[in-house]
Amino acid sequence: MSTTSIESELLVSTDWVDEHRNDDNVRIVESDEDLLLYQQGHIREAVKIDWQTDLQDQTIRDYLSKDRFAQLCASKGISNDTTVVFYGDKNNWWACHAFWAFKLFGHDHCWIMDGGRRRWELDGREFVREPEPDYPRGTYAAKDPDLSIRAFRDEVLQHQAAGKSMIDVRSPSEYTGELLHMEDYPQEGALRAGHIPGAANVPWSRAVNDDGTVKSEAELEQIYLNEAGLKREGDTIIVYCRIGERSSHTWFVLKYLLGFDNVKNYDGSWTEWGNLVGVPIEKNV
Amino acid sequence: MINQTSNRKNKLEELKREFGELDVRDRLETLLEFSDELPDLPESYRARRDAGENRVHECQTPVYIWVEVADGQVEIYADVSRDAPTVRGFISLLANTLCGLAPAEVLAVKPTLLTELGLVEALGMVRMRGLHAILHRIKLKVQRAVGEVG
Repeated sequence: MSTTSIESELLVSTDWVDEHRNDDNVRIVESDEDLLLYQQGHIREAVKIDWQTDLQDQTIRDYLSKDRFAQLCASKGISNDTTVVFYGDKNNWWACHAFWAFKLFGHDHCWIMDGGRRRWELDGREFVREPEPDYPRGTYAAKDPDLSIRAFRDEVLQHQAAGKSMIDVRSPSEYTGELLHMEDYPQEGALRAGHIPGAANVPWSRAVNDDGTVKSEAELEQIYLNEAGLKREGDTIIVYCRIGERSSHTWFVLKYLLGFDNVKNYDGSWTEWGNLVGVPIEKNV
Repeated sequence: MINQTSNRKNKLEELKREFGELDVRDRLETLLEFSDELPDLPESYRARRDAGENRVHECQTPVYIWVEVADGQVEIYADVSRDAPTVRGFISLLANTLCGLAPAEVLAVKPTLLTELGLVEALGMVRMRGLHAILHRIKLKVQRAVGEVG
């Protein structure tokens, strides 16, 4: 049963994926927090792309070069015109992060499977424990990164000084500075706690239902437009979390489900800001 | 007893050697096999788990670990969701190789174990610290158990 609540070509239902997973121009990609989940069981036609071991440089804290990204895509049977549908664990955090990285590298057709692994499982659909399918090599021409969706620290500093909109999508206790790290993730802390002054706190999880699917457009408008006071047009909005993955989820919701003009993900996020010397920080404790 | 413990110690050394010979894909496959093979939590611990006892709060997915020392040997029992096969696999690997060792031998396991097993390369840096926390937690529990006995 499909529970897709938003009619958007960028958010597809599990039904749609089930019908189209064998299409030549479609590639299903699983991206998870737990790297072994894919190996334990995945959608039969899906390939695995891991945000950390595949999309990130292993030495410098950054994403791959555009040429290495092109090689990665080609090796997974993805060409420039392939429609890539992402899904994963944890309500699609990592799927949205991979989606964002693909957009950063200028990939045109990226979709998200609403509800991710959880919805697929609740539907009672099949997960197979098989090796990753080996598709014919794709043809991929690398493009320059699209920096209109990525914010770096100097820009965030200017943005903050100008009093422009920012959303901190972490849990309230991380935002207030009560916690130095995400609850249950002490390994990803920073030397200082709190938030970037001027950022509003809208935890990413407010955008999802219990089954992992995204809330209706009316509900999302209530949260982001009415409560948080964000505007669709005008100044850029910067979203951040701890390492840029949860904020990818909010970035996706604002940009593609609510149609905001300019939204950037600050992937340096709190693990950069909370360790920078001399930058302003606000606490509520 | 001495021979028995030294055999168990070799098990960990043997595992490091085996992992060293595997490529990244096979290291992950082996870790997944460990996840498959984690024994069910003994009946006598289940009520305590259900009461929320011994939950490891470093892990987002529910993880419960009991570390006990009986007759000079370490015993490890754990319950980890199948939705977290990496954590489940690592705990299973530790339980499999550390059970039966003397407390001092468990305390001597170096924090570089993950590097020695080649898991940093296989899983990426950000995933390492959570696994380190589990090893640290097990050693801490051994230390406490020994302290209580002594």
